[in-house]
Formats: sequence, structure tokens, C-alpha cells
Amino acid sequence: MSRYETNVVLYRLKKDSAFRDRFKSNPGQALAGADLSDEERDAFVRWDLRKLNELGGSLHLLVSIPGLGAH
Amino acid sequence: MGKIVYAAAMSHVLHPDYYGQNVGPHGRRMVEELIAVVRAMGRTLTSAAPDALVVVADDHLNVFSFDAVPALCVRVGRSVNRMIQADAIEFDRALDGLPERYPVHEDLANSILETGVQAGFDFAASWSAPLDHAFLSPVSTLYGDRPVAPLVPFWVNCFVAPQPTAQRCFAAGRHIARVVAEGPWNVAVIATGGLSHFPELSLARIGQSDPAFDRRILKLMEAGDSEPLTALTAKELHESGSHELLNWMVLLGAVSPARARVRFFGEMGRIDLAALEWDVA
Repeated sequence: MSRYETNVVLYRLKKDSAFRDRFKSNPGQALAGADLSDEERDAFVRWDLRKLNELGGSLHLLVSIPGLGAH
Repeated sequence: MGKIVYAAAMSHVLHPDYYGQNVGPHGRRMVEELIAVVRAMGRTLTSAAPDALVVVADDHLNVFSFDAVPALCVRVGRSVNRMIQADAIEFDRALDGLPERYPVHEDLANSILETGVQAGFDFAASWSAPLDHAFLSPVSTLYGDRPVAPLVPFWVNCFVAPQPTAQRCFAAGRHIARVVAEGPWNVAVIATGGLSHFPELSLARIGQSDPAFDRRILKLMEAGDSEPLTALTAKELHESGSHELLNWMVLLGAVSPARARVRFFGEMGRIDLAALEWDVA
């Protein structure tokens, strides 16, 4: 189910600007309630797009998060 | 008896600023050339006076989330909104300033959905999904200031594995052709997206297109030879960055055995741009 959770967080980062702002200022805290593995959580905190992609994060979500996407 | 009076496929980020910023001046120039071709194609489309325009495109996880990803989805209802997204990323800025609402051709959409399900296609239906750049960038470029024909938006899941097969997309297109033939309407069909681009970040060839693959598939379309295209596997589409070719497979099914004419093909390095028309008249 982790692939689902990873993409749920990515989708929320894309669509929910308040959550995105919290993530930008303190990613660990913003993700405290998310059901992620340690590896996934670490990739989010480091904002390692390649790793998130390897862990099943959708490329189209990764590239389209306002202010965070890598184009 | 209805007929398909116009058929075309084209790349769907028709937005010079996006390519200017992300690829550079040659990217901007190339997409401007493509836009001029698509505008000319739009004059042919409007002179064919379709009662409806079926637009086959993919979602970029703008509309559908991982909560539910339909393999193939027909937009029903009476009208459809332009997607409005705060902080839209560059390629959805192509939508800024466009009309906020478009008519849906409700009878054709319902026919495609209902007879499709009866025929064994488990199409999803949406009454509320809005349209992103994959639909409206080509539609607005084709029509310019002219009124847009009532739309039948049709989504293909091009990006979230497991995708529908090329063969299944082609079969869905054959179904659309049957609905049109049995109905009273003159219908235009366009497919959008591509050509090869956006390979996954973890691949070595990050950000590069596959021109050899694209030239091969364009030749097959020009020859009206759809069998090798329907045999393309998910792996081949993924490795060449040609996910969005699945949209084109629906169109190919709708117009088969018509041959394509390549109106534009440009190799940008990061994506190959194209616009094709099919001889359906």
C-alpha cells in the first residue's frame, strides 16, 4: 500500500496549498500523520525526486507540485 | 447515418512560453511552427462542420487521483468546465483566459458510454471531471475565436500502471466508429499528446525523446498499418516515453484503415512534436 500512500502525499502536495506550505517549512512535522515507511518518509524530507519516483511516486505528480516540481 | 468527418492527432502543450523557458529559443520556435500548422488544421476541422468533437486525451493526475484511476472514461453531462488550478504549473497556464465552460454533446457521449458497456467495454463515466491542457490546449488552438463544437471528452489512463493495452484502446476506437456510423451525427475525432517524452527519472536517458521510435510509428500511420501499433507493449511505450500514444490508438481504431498525413514533425531533443490528419472524407 505504500505506493498508494506516497502518491496520496504527492497529490496532496499538488492540490492542497496549506499542506504544501506546512511541508515546505517543516517536512517531517507535516508528514507526521502519513502512513509512510521510513525510507519513503526520508525521501520526502530530503525531497529526493529520483528516490520518490523509484518508490512508486508518479512522475507526473513529482513534476507538477507548485514550487517544488522539477522540470 | 453519421460519419467521421475529420480526424487528427497532435501534441498537447501548444504553449510557446513553456518551451521557451524549459527548452530554449529553438523549443519556442518549433512549437510556434506547430501552432501555425494546428491553426490551419482547425480551418479544415471547422469547414467539416462537425456536430460533435470527440477529444481523446489523458489525465496528468490533475483530475483523477490514486483513489480511483479509470482505464477509459467518458465524460457525460451537459457541459464541462476548464480546470482551474491555483498555482498551475507552466503547461497548464496555456488554459489561462480560455472560456470556463464548454458544451458536451450529451447524446453522443451517452451513446458511446451505454452501448460501450453493453458491448463489454467497462468504461467509467464522469459527470464532473474538468478539462486540463491535454484537451483544451489543442481544442483552443484548433478553434481560435470560433465557437467550439459540443465535446465528448474521453480519457485514457496513459500513466498509472497498469494501463489499458494498445489493442484495447484501438478496440475502444472501433467502438466509437460504430456508434458514429449508427447515429445521425457528423463527428470529428482528435487524439492528443506525445510524441515520445518524459521517460522516468530513474532511466539513464532522462528527459530525452526517442526520435527513431517516433519516426517508425509515424511511417506506420502514414501506411495505415495499425497492426504493429496495436502490438506495442506497455514496456515499449514506457521505455520510449510514448505513454500518450494510447490516446492515438483510440483514434486509430476510430479511423482505421485510413492513412495519416504528417502535417508536422519536429525533434526537439526533449520531446518530439507532431500533428497528423487522417484521410477520412
